[in-house]
Amino acid sequence: MRIAVCAPQVPFVRGGAEIVSERLVDELRKRDHAAELVTVPFKWYPGERVLTQAFLWRLVDLEEADGAPIDLVVATKFPSYVVRHSNKVVWLLHQFRQAYELDRTELGQFDESPEDRALRRAVHRLDKLALGEARKLFATSGNVAERLRRTTGLEAEVLAHPPQELPYRCDEYGDFILSVGRIDRAKRVGLLIDALGADTSLRCVVAGEGPERGRLEQLARERGLDGRAKFAGRVSEQELADLYARCLAVYYAPVDEDFGMVPYEAFLAKKPVVTTTDAGGPLEVVGDRETGLVCEPTATAVAEACAWLRDHPDETRKWGQAGQRAAERLTWDAAIDRLLE
Amino acid sequence: MRVAYYSPQPPERSGIADYSALLLPALEERIDVEVVRRGARRFRRRTDISLYHVGNDPEAHGWIVEALRRRPGLVVLHDFVLHHLVAGMTLGRGDGGGYLDAMQREAGPVGRMLAHGVIDELLPPLWEDRAVDYPLTGEVLGSATGLIVHSAYVERLARDAGYRRPIWRIPHPAWVPPTEITPAELPTGRIVIGCYGHLNPAKRLPQLLEAFADVRRRLPEALLLLVGSLSPGLDLDPVYDRLGLTNGEDLVHVEYVDEARLWAFLAACDICINLRHPTMGETSGIVIRALSLGRPLVVSDVGWFSELPTEAALKVPVDGQEVQTIGEALELLGRDPDLRAKMGEAGRTSARRDNDVGRVADLYVTALEEAAGGDAVREAVVGEVARAAEEVGLQANGPALAEVAERLREVGSGR
Repeated sequence: MRIAVCAPQVPFVRGGAEIVSERLVDELRKRDHAAELVTVPFKWYPGERVLTQAFLWRLVDLEEADGAPIDLVVATKFPSYVVRHSNKVVWLLHQFRQAYELDRTELGQFDESPEDRALRRAVHRLDKLALGEARKLFATSGNVAERLRRTTGLEAEVLAHPPQELPYRCDEYGDFILSVGRIDRAKRVGLLIDALGADTSLRCVVAGEGPERGRLEQLARERGLDGRAKFAGRVSEQELADLYARCLAVYYAPVDEDFGMVPYEAFLAKKPVVTTTDAGGPLEVVGDRETGLVCEPTATAVAEACAWLRDHPDETRKWGQAGQRAAERLTWDAAIDRLLE
Repeated sequence: MRVAYYSPQPPERSGIADYSALLLPALEERIDVEVVRRGARRFRRRTDISLYHVGNDPEAHGWIVEALRRRPGLVVLHDFVLHHLVAGMTLGRGDGGGYLDAMQREAGPVGRMLAHGVIDELLPPLWEDRAVDYPLTGEVLGSATGLIVHSAYVERLARDAGYRRPIWRIPHPAWVPPTEITPAELPTGRIVIGCYGHLNPAKRLPQLLEAFADVRRRLPEALLLLVGSLSPGLDLDPVYDRLGLTNGEDLVHVEYVDEARLWAFLAACDICINLRHPTMGETSGIVIRALSLGRPLVVSDVGWFSELPTEAALKVPVDGQEVQTIGEALELLGRDPDLRAKMGEAGRTSARRDNDVGRVADLYVTALEEAAGGDAVREAVVGEVARAAEEVGLQANGPALAEVAERLREVGSGR
């Protein structure tokens, strides 16, 4: 089959969704499909730009390329699923969350003016139309599927995506907690920094880049962490695998995250995960006292959870291994079979 | 966002006043609402949009239409046919010219001549039996920046009338039945067929009575319960006599009841019947209450009533077999308690799912937000796309831009 995988591209930003899209193309090619990643740059501000940039996808003609038909389009994330195609499958990684559960929070985008309120509703309508056109609709987690059902009335099958390919291994249960991912407010890395402030025996490594990095480095200085929080920046795949291999456990507690690959990556390195009760998608992956610890979203609770894992090496090891077994069940064969069925 | 809210309010005896009493608390939980009182000339605070509840009663809605004329806004069209409203606001106030103009706007010179005939008492009032032919909705539609309707039927009528601005279809909210209902005083051991609301010719009472008389012969335990005031000029006694029905034995008629007793009489029925023809595009608060209570329904297969869930309502076409079909429906339900229970449960489920007042209030907020800022958003999107097209030299009427315009319309951002 000739398959176009559609994903938006935010210039100079790379995260889990980009990794999944690229990997999907690779995996399709491994299975003898002609697959191509189709991207359009996306900027969602100011004002109506979220709609005009989304609209670009509507003008993209993917019915055929170079005289040969494209058999299938797999769209992933807002606004790539606005694309028109007679055989459109959506594997929904993200809607435009600022128009949904992040609205009227500090992570929201739309103010109380009639124009902004209407703009938000226009995103809803666009989602309903574009996602409603799909021949099949998958969501990357129960959290995403439920939000979709609640906000648009559309039903999606849950289809989790496998984690990125890294040389995963476990060398030790070391002395630091690892945080992986883009450093923005929604990922809530600041809570981990605050936890280190609450317990002076804890250490962490923060791998990733993002707009919040400077603020968090300043926060670490203000908390007097004296080098206990290390900001590693963007790391190579090899460096990331090394960090997973050596850490004690992994912290992953975004605000109502759609899915997040980090817990499964941690599990493949046999590491348990510390998350919070309001983290959303990760709660479908991390079982409390089974594959990690689920605590209240407070600095004290996170600090206690991290310290508990350090002080209970048998449980830490056991839960990490249980996580590994769960992660290994998530395969590309199964995912692609369902996408193409 | 702040909304100026125009509606009749309790204690006015109006279905729309009851509707607003139900909706407003849920709406106020979600959005800033300024309820405008009759006679108010100025708002206490600046509002972003006005919401007008418009029905067919000139006494209840005349002042609301006057406010709509001054400041166009979002209209909740509770009835599509507004002839009675317009006649009341024109002829009722001695403004024959206004009525002539309204009829001319509706039906051209013929309409104006008909109106002259009515004014000169050469013709019977059109609002009595020809209102559906001349709905006189034009002025309200002309001032409405958007419409909220309760049925696909009214949406279709508005579109057929040439209305091109946005329409939101929002179900009628459902009342939650009182937790304690005092039983109504009715004979026991009877199968009670209840008919509620103002009893006017459109409720098909002659047809209902004829069908009931026939059913009563085969199902003697059937009892017809009529709850509501009789329309002036509608005398049922000769009909009872002709059909051999005895008031107090075969049927019970109760005049106006308050809300508590209405629930009691609704709870007392085994079958709720609500026939209608012609329809003005209205909904029925009684039907919504019966659904909430889990009572099986028999309704006319017209307008909004046609859109009720088939699992909960038997629908009677208004045709030459109407009386026979009403009788068959009543007998079928009268003889089958399991079917009554099944249909009642289906009705209760649909009321919870579709007519939940919180859900309805959410849909109102969506409509209000889209109506208040939607034009500005569309203009901004079209403007940005048009600027980009102009910069690369695309002709305004060329085929390339035609496709762009079509795609914009597809995603709801076009003009």
